[in-house]
Amino acid sequence: MNKESNIYTFTFAIIMVLVIGVSLAVTSEVLQPRKKQNKNDKKMMDILSAINIDASRENAQQEYDKYIYSSSIIDNMGRVLEGDAFKIDVLFQYRDKTLLPEERRYPLFKANKDGSEYFIVPMVGSGLWGPIWGFIALENDYNTIYGAAFDHKTETPGLGAEINQDFFEQPFVGKKIIDDNGVFVSVEVQKGGAQSNDPHAVDGITGGTITSDGVTDMLKNTLMIYNKYFSSLIEDDIKKDTLDIINNID
Amino acid sequence: MKKSFFSKQHQRLITDPMGDQNPITIQVLGICSALAITTQLANALVMTLAVIFVMISASMIISILRNSIPNRIRIIVQLLVVASLVALVDQILKAFLPDASDKLSVFIGLIITNCIIMGRLEAFAMGNKVWESFLDAFGNAIGYGWILVAVAFVRELFGSGKLMGYQIIPLSWYDTMTVDGVEKSFVYFNNNLMILPPMALIVVGLIIWVQRSKNEELIEND
Amino acid sequence: MDLVNIFIKGVFIDNMIFAYFLGMCSYLAVSKTVTTANGLGLAVIFVLGITVPVNYILETKILKAGALQWLGENFIDVDLNVLSLIMFIAVVSAMVQLVEMIIEKFSPALYSSLGIFLPLIAVNCAILGGALFMQERQYSTIIEATSFALGSGVGWYLAIVAIAAIREKIRYSNVPPPLRGLGITFIITGLMGIAFMCFMGIKI
Repeated sequence: MNKESNIYTFTFAIIMVLVIGVSLAVTSEVLQPRKKQNKNDKKMMDILSAINIDASRENAQQEYDKYIYSSSIIDNMGRVLEGDAFKIDVLFQYRDKTLLPEERRYPLFKANKDGSEYFIVPMVGSGLWGPIWGFIALENDYNTIYGAAFDHKTETPGLGAEINQDFFEQPFVGKKIIDDNGVFVSVEVQKGGAQSNDPHAVDGITGGTITSDGVTDMLKNTLMIYNKYFSSLIEDDIKKDTLDIINNID
Repeated sequence: MKKSFFSKQHQRLITDPMGDQNPITIQVLGICSALAITTQLANALVMTLAVIFVMISASMIISILRNSIPNRIRIIVQLLVVASLVALVDQILKAFLPDASDKLSVFIGLIITNCIIMGRLEAFAMGNKVWESFLDAFGNAIGYGWILVAVAFVRELFGSGKLMGYQIIPLSWYDTMTVDGVEKSFVYFNNNLMILPPMALIVVGLIIWVQRSKNEELIEND
Repeated sequence: MDLVNIFIKGVFIDNMIFAYFLGMCSYLAVSKTVTTANGLGLAVIFVLGITVPVNYILETKILKAGALQWLGENFIDVDLNVLSLIMFIAVVSAMVQLVEMIIEKFSPALYSSLGIFLPLIAVNCAILGGALFMQERQYSTIIEATSFALGSGVGWYLAIVAIAAIREKIRYSNVPPPLRGLGITFIITGLMGIAFMCFMGIKI
């Protein structure tokens, strides 16, 4: 048989493409559940890291089920919507520039650790080179930060990339996002160091100013939305309390 | 006379690429995809294993098919075989070693364009039997791997004071003292420069220096 | 503004050579004289400028999870990501073949000086790297992707022409014999990389 004939070359190419295509498709299909599981495990680990739970890939699902008891989705006005909050990919939404503000969905995870209730808020923003993201856990006064975890993909090593280190994340604990007058102020990452008694500021990273500013913006933009939702919860609480009092008087 | 299964020539197929025919330091092949991931030893090891796997499988497949591949499309066929093997490795890493896969990201894909693989397929596997091709591929992959591992060893040790993620340089060496209100370390600082990309090139340059000082025949004269 | 930023970042900060070592094989092999380096550099810019947008269309319209939606709602769950490596490399080699034919026809001088290295562009990691980085960074429009591609290409061009110029001059220096040729080129590239790091943090 002539090896250089057109027919042979074509047949060879077609058989080859078929073999490769089928074998790759099969592997991909077989490994699909595992890949999905890996992705979910990673997300659960990230969420749990906000309430200082160090889960591993092996026990991520277990720990997640243990601590996270419910979740909800809210829109940009702070209204609650139907759906599975875990499935929402905030990073994907952030990149999609065609998405209108009212189409964005904000997931919220409710955790119960050692008898206290925490609200875990995922967030995305822009660093110097690319997206940065994080999870903030608030205490059930909807105000005090209980834990913070940030990460990034492409920030400058040694400078902006340090936002995922403990020395940057730890100072967020105990900071408040609402001031004494009940106005939302968020927490600011300050260049040149923050006053240690300032409840609304933490130290920035020297040389990582743009990344630090990115964190500030991300906190402000995201927490603002969630704050609307929290305010409505507080209002509901007050209404319920007043109702209780009125009922008691009767 | 029957040729022995593992003759002198066979041995040389493996040992040459490790030393005087090293693909990276002598033949200048396959540097591209590799050096960016040498900040950590573990990454370098995963990368080396991936390259060994792809290279051996590709060499053997091409060697088996060598008499049936039409000459006109042989480069494309080689490229396709390598690309699909790399896609396979990529899938396996994503499923079983997700953390390593995250760190290596695009560099696994770049194994396709690793010149060593295509170079050995075209120069060796297209014209030799399966067993020889296997040895040649193995030797070259190891020759490539040891440079990678050596560079990663130096960079991780001096850059982070760790190896495979375990602290090697005692933490007490990092102790600081305050002198005139300024904190100073007296024993050791992590060399952050090591973590940055340029140092990979300089470390390879130094390896070449050592290697060529030992074997004067390799010195270039231009 | 984003476009300029992406371009600048591609040229200086995420330089294909100094930050990612992509395309090192041809970078080291073809950088002995400025003229050939110039030719290869231009070819890389050109090929990157073509392949990345083509691969971008491929990625967003066919390969990405849910990308086949335009075929109908039934296809929304199709994820062909596993094929992306093969598709990218196929596009790259086809394009390189095309460029080779064009250069051969219109500039025989350039063709003969680039010699065997032109086909090597197909396995130039910088080209496939461009496609893979484009995929990983998920640029939101094709114009952003093109801007990234041109930036990376110009960065690569800059690197190879600079090293070629240095290598032309370094013949007159007394380099220790074992370092001559490859060794010193590696070290110089490293030093250039350190110099390029001062661009980190630039934002326009």
